[in-house]
Amino acid sequence: MERMKKQNGTEDIPLFISRSNITTEINKTGSWRFARPKYDEKTSPCSAACPAGEDIARIQMLANQESFKEAVHTILIENPFPAVCGRVCFHPCETACNRTGFDEPIAIRCLERFLGDFAIQESMKLPPEKLPENGKSVCIVGAGPAGLAAGYFLTRLGYSCHIFEASSEPGGILRWGIPEYRLPVKILAREIERIKDFGVKINCNVPMSQNFLKETKSRYDAFFIACGYSRSMQMNIPGDQAASDGLEFLRHMRREEITPLTGTAAVVGGGNTAVDIARSLVRLGLNPIIVYRRRKQDMPAFKHEVEMARKEGVKILELFAPIQIEKTGGACFLTLQQMKISGAETSGGRAVVVPDGRVTQLRRVDHVFTAIGAEPTEPWQFPPEQGPETLHLGHCTFAHRDRPLMFGGDLTNPIKSVTDAIASGKQAAMALDAFFKKGWDANADRLAPYRVGSGPALSMESYLKGEHTSRNRHIVSYEEINTDYFSTAARVLSASLAVDESVHSFLETEETYTFDQAVEETYRCFKCGICDSCNNCRIFCPEVAVVFKDSRRVIDLNYCKGCGICVVECPRNAMALEMEI
Amino acid sequence: MKKVLEGSHAVSEAVRLARVQVMSAYPITPQTHIVEALSEYCSNGAMNARFLCVESEHSAMAAVIGAASGGVRTFTATSSQGLALMHELLHWASAARLPIVMAEVNRALAPGWNIWMDQTDSLAQRDTGWIQLYCEDGQEVFDTTLQAFRLAEKVSLPVMVVLDAFFLSHTFEPVDVPDQDIVDGFLPPFLPRFELNTDNPFAIGQMAAPTIYMEMRHSIQKAMERVPGELDQVEQEFAATFNRRYGPMEAIHCDDAEVIMVVTGTAASTCRKVISDLRAINEQVGMLKLRMFRPFPTDLIRQVLGSAHKIAVIDRNFSFGVSGIFAQEVRAALCNYKGHPSVFGYIAGLGGRDVTPETLEEIYWKTKSTDKPDAESIWIGLNPYSSFQSRSNS
Repeated sequence: MERMKKQNGTEDIPLFISRSNITTEINKTGSWRFARPKYDEKTSPCSAACPAGEDIARIQMLANQESFKEAVHTILIENPFPAVCGRVCFHPCETACNRTGFDEPIAIRCLERFLGDFAIQESMKLPPEKLPENGKSVCIVGAGPAGLAAGYFLTRLGYSCHIFEASSEPGGILRWGIPEYRLPVKILAREIERIKDFGVKINCNVPMSQNFLKETKSRYDAFFIACGYSRSMQMNIPGDQAASDGLEFLRHMRREEITPLTGTAAVVGGGNTAVDIARSLVRLGLNPIIVYRRRKQDMPAFKHEVEMARKEGVKILELFAPIQIEKTGGACFLTLQQMKISGAETSGGRAVVVPDGRVTQLRRVDHVFTAIGAEPTEPWQFPPEQGPETLHLGHCTFAHRDRPLMFGGDLTNPIKSVTDAIASGKQAAMALDAFFKKGWDANADRLAPYRVGSGPALSMESYLKGEHTSRNRHIVSYEEINTDYFSTAARVLSASLAVDESVHSFLETEETYTFDQAVEETYRCFKCGICDSCNNCRIFCPEVAVVFKDSRRVIDLNYCKGCGICVVECPRNAMALEMEI
Repeated sequence: MKKVLEGSHAVSEAVRLARVQVMSAYPITPQTHIVEALSEYCSNGAMNARFLCVESEHSAMAAVIGAASGGVRTFTATSSQGLALMHELLHWASAARLPIVMAEVNRALAPGWNIWMDQTDSLAQRDTGWIQLYCEDGQEVFDTTLQAFRLAEKVSLPVMVVLDAFFLSHTFEPVDVPDQDIVDGFLPPFLPRFELNTDNPFAIGQMAAPTIYMEMRHSIQKAMERVPGELDQVEQEFAATFNRRYGPMEAIHCDDAEVIMVVTGTAASTCRKVISDLRAINEQVGMLKLRMFRPFPTDLIRQVLGSAHKIAVIDRNFSFGVSGIFAQEVRAALCNYKGHPSVFGYIAGLGGRDVTPETLEEIYWKTKSTDKPDAESIWIGLNPYSSFQSRSNS
């Protein structure tokens, strides 16, 4: 105890209080400890659900700090197509979002689109980090999302890549199968351009054949076959030649080579292609009806797309299957068989349907389009089912013949989405690299450390940096979030064209977030498992044992008594408490 | 610039102009408007300060104690139950010698629930070591708040600025609100005599053995004894800038008065009119408005009241089992004074009941017509309980 220092002209006023001459630093409270807190970043459920394994929580954090360039880099290291995926991805990340337990999921896709467009606006290049060139070259068949992704990731890993594409321009389904109002060609072109600038060579107008592969075999160290499903399946019913090929129709639309159509149209199928065709037909002035043999809720098309189609006036006829088409004059008479659910379900959870007696319906339409699925054009494009050295990885098939022969994209993916195709390219690149470095036997195990969460998505970032940098694979659950630190807020909606406008044009129906919208939405994100420097650990530590060292937070174990308050007060489960005994 | 402000906003404007750095409060009627405005100032950038939202008044006081220990200017506000909940930490704030300023809006304690004017909440904290200043109108609230920071920081003791619920907190009056630079001239930045500092860590407020505790308490009293003089100096400087001063108390017509009425808060305004009316009919009456209750201005009380015949103390509070608290204090101040006057204790206006000119006149005539008080406390305007019972039975 001592008298206090004197300052403000009041020194003669008695001030006699207890004050220590030394600090409490001599009391090393760390000696009381039997449990130790540590910074332990974990996997967010959105990342684990993202086929491309994007580090979404960190991307949200960076965007929140308005470090958009870093946020873009964080995406690009895992996915070279943010502007594309920000438009067409079916966003399983949002379905997995922990915020759903609180109010509404974060609009992750909208932020990705904002960042993708930001990168284009700023003419950002792909992150330059590359492994040294290893002298090996890879032949990639098909310049769709899987082939382009494989080229991109292999180049990053030091390979030289040649992509061969049968059509006149790269992009595959993105270029030829998705209508302009969902994905403008110029956006796609910019993202492909970026991949070319990175060093991937793309040769278009080169139709591939088995012979070509044989002839070029000696020139390449490996092959990646990802030519997609470009041939529409046939209905195989009487008169089906009167029906137009839906994919072909979409291709014509993308070439802007469409002959004017009028009247009514039936689109047979329930997938995204059927919906894309129907919505395009609306824009051409037709009245389309989707005919689907199962129920509406069984449609494999994305719910949001189906909803938009209905708003735009597309009718949906469920539980009817075409059994005959008769073309008379200019019109098609479609005989439809009524179907009923059998009670069984497919492995994908869709109802199995069977004909409902002899009930049929006759429908007159001006046009019929088929969109009941697609398949590869040539038998050699199918991946081998099994073989002595055939490995089915989650997103690709690795056949070890005299050279590594890999199959990916729609040919192997259980979910035929753009983001899964990108995941396929990445997995193939990493598997191939692992093979060249460690041999065949090490392959499956060698990729395990780079899984995001429980997989199958892989992290290129940790593959490049090495095993020890991998994030804890524990997926943060809603119960592990300290929701006291969050308040409910409505999801930020991006602007969209009014339906009466959208049906008259091929302009994008949805707009990109504004700067303010993007930042506002990131405030809602829990940033599950990621330290966003909120400083709660330091503020709440009773011993002030959280200190800064080289501007990073570290725990001073001389004073940390292991109370665990920091771990409990961490809003986002980016810390853990470990027993020391 | 003159503004029409409610009493609550006279406080919040003064706090804004005082450049307070850390505030913490828990809302309670009738204090809410004060902290509502201040939290708004923090969010809209009108103040460069932190407003700490807490879950109770106990935590609010703890938060400002922490901030003040760190050497910054602090403020909080509360009322009634909230002040009662702070009780433990009120002792801490004063004994730790922290110059915290608090606005306390006098409100009745429950049960029965009552949000209206009553002084028992603040008077029940009289032994906590806080300076207490009671205000009469909006301008005085504004001025006292500004003065409170100067005073608190000079003597290293916390100050409670007390204002009546609704009669003052929610009543709009013209208040002169000066520009920031003028206030800055009167109230320089806080220079703490001690502050916690992580670069040079030490602990304060720890163990004090019997060998030293008494001296520490004595030191608080010594600082308290300096308050009248320091307040006078603060008021001189304040008057030089703003041309207004209030003093620890104000005596009106006391020199030749036979009966002096002792009042506090807004009742003083009512009393001014009553005195002037009674003087007009040649009644020898005076009034004493008590502004500073802690420290209690014993010497001044003796000087002013000593020569009168009778003193009528109006208490809008009550200490159960004894009397009104102001009456108690006045009696204590006078008891050792030779030939001291009779002190009549009147209890009026509890729980928001009006104290009207008629109430005060009744008190005057009662005092004048009685030789000695026939009871320790005389309750004014008390209705028989039966009048309420019969109503509820019907």
